[in-house]
Amino acid sequence: MKAVQYLNQFFAGLGGEDAAETPPTRLDGAVGPGRGLGPVLDDVEIVATVACGDDYFGEHEGEALGRLLALIEAEKPDVVVAGPAFGSGRYGYACARVAGAAAAAGIPAVAAMHEENPGRTVAGKAYIVPTGVNVAGMREALPRLGALASALAAGREPEDGSYLARGYRRTRNVGRPGAERAVDLMLSKLQGQTRSEVATAFDRVAPPDPVPDLAEALVALVTEAGCVPQGNPDHLASVRAQAWLRYALDGEERLDSGRYECVHGGFDVALANEDPNRLVPLDVVSELLHEGRIGSLHDRFYTTTGNGTPVAVATEFGREIARELVDAGVQAVFLSGT
Amino acid sequence: MAFELATFPASLLQVDPERIQQLVEAEEALASVDVNLLQPGSSVRLTHVLDAVEPRIRPDGRAAFPTEGKAGEGRTNRLDGVAVLSSVDYPGVERPLHEQESVVDMAGPGAEATPFASMRVVHLAFQAAPGYGHEAIDAPVRRVTLRTAELLAEPTLEAEPAEVERYELGPVPEDLPRVAALVQLSDLGPLYYQYFYGTPVGRAGFPKVVDPAEMLDGALASGEYHWAGMRNPTLFFQRNALVRALYREHGARLAFAGLVLMRGYEQSAEGKQTAANKAAAVAKEVRADGAIITTDAGGNSHTDVMLTCRACERAGVKTVVVLAEETDLDSTEPILTDWVVEADAIVTAGNAEDFVEAWEPERVLGGDRLTDGRDARSAGPISYRDYLGAVNQMGQLDLGAVTV
Repeated sequence: MKAVQYLNQFFAGLGGEDAAETPPTRLDGAVGPGRGLGPVLDDVEIVATVACGDDYFGEHEGEALGRLLALIEAEKPDVVVAGPAFGSGRYGYACARVAGAAAAAGIPAVAAMHEENPGRTVAGKAYIVPTGVNVAGMREALPRLGALASALAAGREPEDGSYLARGYRRTRNVGRPGAERAVDLMLSKLQGQTRSEVATAFDRVAPPDPVPDLAEALVALVTEAGCVPQGNPDHLASVRAQAWLRYALDGEERLDSGRYECVHGGFDVALANEDPNRLVPLDVVSELLHEGRIGSLHDRFYTTTGNGTPVAVATEFGREIARELVDAGVQAVFLSGT
Repeated sequence: MAFELATFPASLLQVDPERIQQLVEAEEALASVDVNLLQPGSSVRLTHVLDAVEPRIRPDGRAAFPTEGKAGEGRTNRLDGVAVLSSVDYPGVERPLHEQESVVDMAGPGAEATPFASMRVVHLAFQAAPGYGHEAIDAPVRRVTLRTAELLAEPTLEAEPAEVERYELGPVPEDLPRVAALVQLSDLGPLYYQYFYGTPVGRAGFPKVVDPAEMLDGALASGEYHWAGMRNPTLFFQRNALVRALYREHGARLAFAGLVLMRGYEQSAEGKQTAANKAAAVAKEVRADGAIITTDAGGNSHTDVMLTCRACERAGVKTVVVLAEETDLDSTEPILTDWVVEADAIVTAGNAEDFVEAWEPERVLGGDRLTDGRDARSAGPISYRDYLGAVNQMGQLDLGAVTV
């Protein structure tokens, strides 16, 4: 199996600060720390080293990353290794970004640095092996880096604890039933020491300013209830939707059950199918229009399925829909949730 | 009155498929049943699993899963390390059975996701009679499964127990903190019901205080077929880790203030708030200093739990909430379906979105295809969400979510 290693100008032997402007470069085989890493790799060979000056990377990050990734991909490696960068901020940052870019491109990747290196937070899906704060930690770092890189190259999941936590939540056997952990948490809370196994950090959405005059406002209908035209022509998913959709209302004043249906996979849809206005309240909104309590209605409604959707995906859906509504001059939205 | 649960060894197990077949023949909606006895660690994957039940029988002749009278009194015999698992290879396309898979692996990496791989499993694979849909077969399948669990425990009537567990809440020092268990049970309509003495819990007058021994003695049965991982199968009530832990701790570190059963899936915002307030009022009634609140299934039942947590805290009852996370694999923050700021002590049952590694069993029983269309033998990784009871939100198992 093949590895490519990323190093900065100094560790690649290209020079010190004087060579910090070196653009992305490819070197044959293992160089510098790679010579120490090679022997602790298991059935993996460092076929090439890619290097870049720290200043060059910092000043031309986008371009440098693109060129480095191209050099890496040309080798078709099984794993990418970056560093060790120890406590060096600029180098650690570059290592993390290169490893992160490789991981995002589907190549397993690992960087090595001190746990307080600012690069730690920007490695994306790449792994980071902890090292000492300076180059004196090389001898200790290489076997750990080698073991993790070898596991990745072989397609194995690295052991928990062999790398710095990336923040992902995984299910594990923690050795004690949840019920007994709950009793412990309760007794400790009753003694004034509140602990939790889930560190909650949820965003709070500030309510927008009230609509000054609804009788003058252009209003739109948006739902995550999985309401679609009968037959679901655009194949909206019942769970983990990958898209949101928009459908013209064509001046209709209610959603007829023969023409619309519900494909949401998170609740019993019988009542929704009986009267789709229960999902998208076009009937009531039309009445409010006639009564003059709403200025006008946007001529299309927006729909998706809110069921098991990753928060990041749902956030993006919301941004895209909101952008379109703002462009259309919509001032208020009836957002029906399920 | 004390409840005694007499434990008998799994070696007493005898399976007579004829007798189970006879139970099926009495049910118009069922065509047949395949009965398989599986040893722990067999290379078998069970699919479309509905429920898991521990074999139980009462020497005094009363029903082991009663629909009347009171459970949790006198003596009941249990067969240790044995589970009856029911599967239906679903006809038709009704929800939720058509969409929500439920897997048990008897070996391989999935063996750690459920407690059943280390047990002797009597697997019942039912086939519906032509023309009968899911709702029509649900009650007969449950009836036959519970009755089979009773038949399998019959040999205990002639044997000596290995051990007798005694459940009684005697007087304890007044200065011990009083802790109640608030256990949520689903009622979201047909195929999403938990049953209390055979009645869907939405019609059982919850929230209310019950004798905790009732839960351990067959008063609760599962007919809730939502996400498998977040399900509370019958066996998890019979061997409930939370209730048993609170009995054990009673008089030691705490006083077990009582078991309160509540409904999940109240159907309106007002209904949810009212039910939450009532649950908190019941917790106050039993003079609880603290309430451990557990969850059933996913979706808006989590809102019921969070509102109950808030109502308890506002009433001066400290809470711990047990639930499963639903954190997508790329997220670096834990994701919960709902949350209130008062929920500051949470036990995680695991991340339902995480996957159990791929494993190829020698045999598949229950149905060859997963509900998502994958071949059940070579399906590749399967999410914890799809393993029966894996991320159980009563805290039954040793699993939890950790940051990696």
